Amino acid sequence: MFNLSRAELIIHIKNLPQFVGKVQFALFDTHSQASKKLLVATEKNIFASLNSRTGDLFWRHVDKTGPDGHINTLMMHGQDAVVVVGNGRLLRSWETTVGGLNWETVLDTGSFQSAAYIGVQDVVRYVAVLKKSAISLHYLSSGHQKWVENLPESDTVQYQTVYSGGNGQVFVLGVVPNSHIVIVEYNIEDGEIMKQKSVAAPWLSSLQSSCVMVGSGVLLCADPTTKSLYTFPLQSADQTTMTPILLESLGVEVAAGFQPVLISTQPHPARPPLSEFFLQLGPDYHILLQLKDGLVSTLRDFNPSYLVAFATTGEKTVAAVMSPKNETVSILFILSNSDPFHLHTYSVIRANGSNASVINLYSADTGRRLLDTTIIYSMDPNGGKPLYIHTFLKKDDSVGYRVLVQTEDLVLTFLQQPGMVVWSREEALADVVTMEMVDLPLTGTQAELEGEFGKKADGLLPMVLKRLSSQFILLQAWMSHLWKLFYDARKPRSHVKNEVTFETLSRDEFNLQKMMVMVTASGKLFGIDSKSGTVLWKQYLENIQPNSVFKLMVQRTTAHFPHPPQCTLLVKDKDTGLGSLYVFNPIFGKKSHISVPALPRPILQSLLLPLMDQDYSKVLLLIDDQYKVTAFPSTKNVLQQLQEMASSIFFYLVDSSQGRLSGFRLRKDLSTELIWEVVIPTEVQKIVGVKGKRANEHVHSQGRVMGDRSVLYKYLNPNLLAVVTESTDSHQERSFVGIFLIDGVTGRIVHEAVQRKARRPVHFVHSENWVVYVYWNTKSRRNEFSVLELFEGMELYNSTVFSSLDRPRPPQVLQQSYIFPSPISTLEATLTEKGITSRHLLVGLPSGAIVSLPKMFLDPRRPEVASDQSREENLIPYSPEMPIRTEWFINYNQTVSRVRGIYTAPSGLESTCLVVAYGLDIYQTRVYPSKQFDVLKDDYDYVLISSVLLGLFFATMISKRLAEVKLLNRAWR
Amino acid sequence: MSSPGGQGGALSTRGAAGPRRMKWALELSLGNTRGRGDRQSKDGDVMYPVGYSDKPVPDTSVQETDRNLVEKRCWDIALGPLKQIPMNLFIMYMSGNTISIFPIMMVCMMAWRPIQALMSISATFKLLESSSQQWLQGFVYLIGNLLGSALAVYKCQSMGLLPTHSSDWLAFIEPPQRLEIMGGGMML
Repeated sequence: MFNLSRAELIIHIKNLPQFVGKVQFALFDTHSQASKKLLVATEKNIFASLNSRTGDLFWRHVDKTGPDGHINTLMMHGQDAVVVVGNGRLLRSWETTVGGLNWETVLDTGSFQSAAYIGVQDVVRYVAVLKKSAISLHYLSSGHQKWVENLPESDTVQYQTVYSGGNGQVFVLGVVPNSHIVIVEYNIEDGEIMKQKSVAAPWLSSLQSSCVMVGSGVLLCADPTTKSLYTFPLQSADQTTMTPILLESLGVEVAAGFQPVLISTQPHPARPPLSEFFLQLGPDYHILLQLKDGLVSTLRDFNPSYLVAFATTGEKTVAAVMSPKNETVSILFILSNSDPFHLHTYSVIRANGSNASVINLYSADTGRRLLDTTIIYSMDPNGGKPLYIHTFLKKDDSVGYRVLVQTEDLVLTFLQQPGMVVWSREEALADVVTMEMVDLPLTGTQAELEGEFGKKADGLLPMVLKRLSSQFILLQAWMSHLWKLFYDARKPRSHVKNEVTFETLSRDEFNLQKMMVMVTASGKLFGIDSKSGTVLWKQYLENIQPNSVFKLMVQRTTAHFPHPPQCTLLVKDKDTGLGSLYVFNPIFGKKSHISVPALPRPILQSLLLPLMDQDYSKVLLLIDDQYKVTAFPSTKNVLQQLQEMASSIFFYLVDSSQGRLSGFRLRKDLSTELIWEVVIPTEVQKIVGVKGKRANEHVHSQGRVMGDRSVLYKYLNPNLLAVVTESTDSHQERSFVGIFLIDGVTGRIVHEAVQRKARRPVHFVHSENWVVYVYWNTKSRRNEFSVLELFEGMELYNSTVFSSLDRPRPPQVLQQSYIFPSPISTLEATLTEKGITSRHLLVGLPSGAIVSLPKMFLDPRRPEVASDQSREENLIPYSPEMPIRTEWFINYNQTVSRVRGIYTAPSGLESTCLVVAYGLDIYQTRVYPSKQFDVLKDDYDYVLISSVLLGLFFATMISKRLAEVKLLNRAWR
Repeated sequence: MSSPGGQGGALSTRGAAGPRRMKWALELSLGNTRGRGDRQSKDGDVMYPVGYSDKPVPDTSVQETDRNLVEKRCWDIALGPLKQIPMNLFIMYMSGNTISIFPIMMVCMMAWRPIQALMSISATFKLLESSSQQWLQGFVYLIGNLLGSALAVYKCQSMGLLPTHSSDWLAFIEPPQRLEIMGGGMML
């Protein structure tokens, strides 16, 4: 009697969280005062517009992954944003209000260096794009190319900067490292070279890192070795050397290891830059300097200061400085609960509360601090980076400002005076690496009851007292529930929100609501409620290398009250190979205090055994590079169990680089012995992936019923591995995809198949007795599905136990292939509690759709010609084309951009499988592969059926009575 | 249909009390001829029809033909189930092997009737007691019913209702227990 109301479904869909990833460029739409748009370009090749009031996305453009879609630069002028994409491949102009494309121009090849707006007489007309060997000028209105010129001596000179002061010339600056600077001046109208100069600068290696343009066309460079600044006016006719200014002459103390960084600002592209600039002297030390008439003077020095930035509004330019707050006052922000993204930021802030930092505004002209501009901001200051500071004029002509901060854990925070977080976004979720779904705990009262029976009896009286007290608690909970119902009923309906907090977090009747534990590439862990998408907890693991490998395991589920559930994350640093374990409670996100074994040696693999310790935590084995095994937990009980079981514990390792698969057996002393090895020669093919079966998979039916009602038994080898290889030769005629089915215990190759003229991308799923894989057919130029099914035959060899060591007969293998009309991003199979429900394949398409494809269509027993027997078996006659029916899209129009993985988990209902698709977005839904056979329909008429039942009951009662009366009357006669 | 000249018949001439149209009426029953008793006279305890005799007339002449009749009757009972078999065969043929409500009902009837008959076989034996070939007849009756039920079983079989195939027991096969624990993967 469970109803998923449509309203709930719609709410569910509305909350689809969309992410953009790590922000590279951010700009505020400044062309009108009332604008609330924030433009961001990210490392994930996304160009998006955020609502600056709520943090929601207005629109988002997802470009190709990889360097082809990489956004090189983002510039904004008026309502249009100009973007250079794919290392200078494309120049695009976007209309920012609705996100429409104004124009797009394909640029000549050549690696992109820089781009700039070129203005003439206060009007910006052109955009200049500087490449390694050419410069081109394009009209801003249409994107048409005005002119393109090859740069002189481009093979020796590294051109890096393009500059225009708004007076009809374009300067291109290049450098010959450790020799001289080349300055080329072009005419805007026809691209003619007006002047060409070279200035000696033997200390300079790169313009971009150590030079800026300051004031009206003055090139300013910093030299760390001589600890001095150099200036050079570009327009000077006679000067041929740079003017040095010693830093010491400015009264600046310079520490050793000085790495200068100059920061200047050009508020309007058609006007020269300001003459004020920042010089970074150390990691926490900046000074504000001014260049006037060739002389540099210090305006203010900021020590300590983490970060500095300029911001302009109208005619005013201010400098924003982020510095540590001296008093360690913890400031707690009060956050609204309405937005799912920052519900529990609270706890994180409190943890880092002592690291408060302050942002202040200073007048750029004078270095004077502006009053009432302080934002006290208390996040991890080292991770924080103000991406963009937007200032605006207040009504009383003073300057107000907002700050967009991105921290190391990829939280985008938008701050407004006075120290208010307007919104924050968890951009780490754009890069989910792995996830698990954990059952929610029972409610406190249920747990109390379970606990009572779980503990050992300690006398009659205490037991009675305990029982009474738990009953009392139940009563109390019931009363409070009633009170809450009553209280909510008085409120208007819209005010009653189903907020999810830790207090209300409990398992529902059918275990449909679960906790999604997500591990992101940046090393941030999230606990998300699957029903509402609310982030309930998050935990940032510091010092995670960017290319680390994560493996998440659930060591103890919620089923073992009062022991808390326990998840273990194995993080392996790719560079050092060293692994570390992070043990936490998946429901509350708290780090567990269990002592974790030290892992001095590089970890190769881990293995979660079905063995349990006394406290019900599963045993985790970690295999190091000497093939020694460390057990976690490693109590006496566990070690004893391991000793008993050692001879039946096997593990396999796949070394893709050497093409070697090896199998090991555990010895009693926790060392291992190599028992088999399969080498796939790397010259010919390389291993793409290996998949075993999922540990929590159940198969209800041991065979398939044939048309003549005999049984074809499935070959259900739990130790079977599917290994997919790909040819190293990628020539269209000779490329192939190989698939090996290998028994992981004995190393026996059960089956091997080669798909000729096939190429990656290969995706595959291994479950039950079948393997489904997808590849690109190079000959027919299409995507194809292939399915392998293994059968034992008409008789079971041994129906009670399965041992890989005793399998005399090889299985029968059937295979069939189909054409799939779309490329594929990812592939997964549904999973249910008992495995009675038929299986579906979940196919993530690059379009963002997720297709639930019945496994029935991928059945190698599909006959070419339908016979009576095959009809009896419900086999669909073979047709090479696999259809995609629109009703198979499980996410309707809620596309999941760049879907990278699909996670499936069983629910408490056999018919229902929970699905989480993650990529840029996260989408959670339920699928019913065999329809909801164990659930009453939505339109089930309770009233009619109960009234009929009641009516019949009363009719029987009445007629029985009447019959009795009649019998009595007759007897009297 | 009793004759008017029977015993206890009475003639009475109606006087002014009767309906005026009738000159006379013949009352063939005894007892109260007046008032409201008129209509309820059938319920009365003295309502024997004309010519009814209280005493049974014994038929003392036992004839050979009667004995034959009994034998015949007993054989009829004994051969009843066998006689039904051709009809059942016809019904079986007509109803086909598809599983739907009517064939199922027919199969149920076919199966149920012989079973019922077999359960009440002692009663049937009592019926056959008077026959001299009681045992033979009983045996034939039994055989007939067994044949009937065999036919029903055959029909069930041809309809596929009997769990005679291995597929019918598939759902009861437990998944085999695995003896080895295995795990691992790509080198991290």
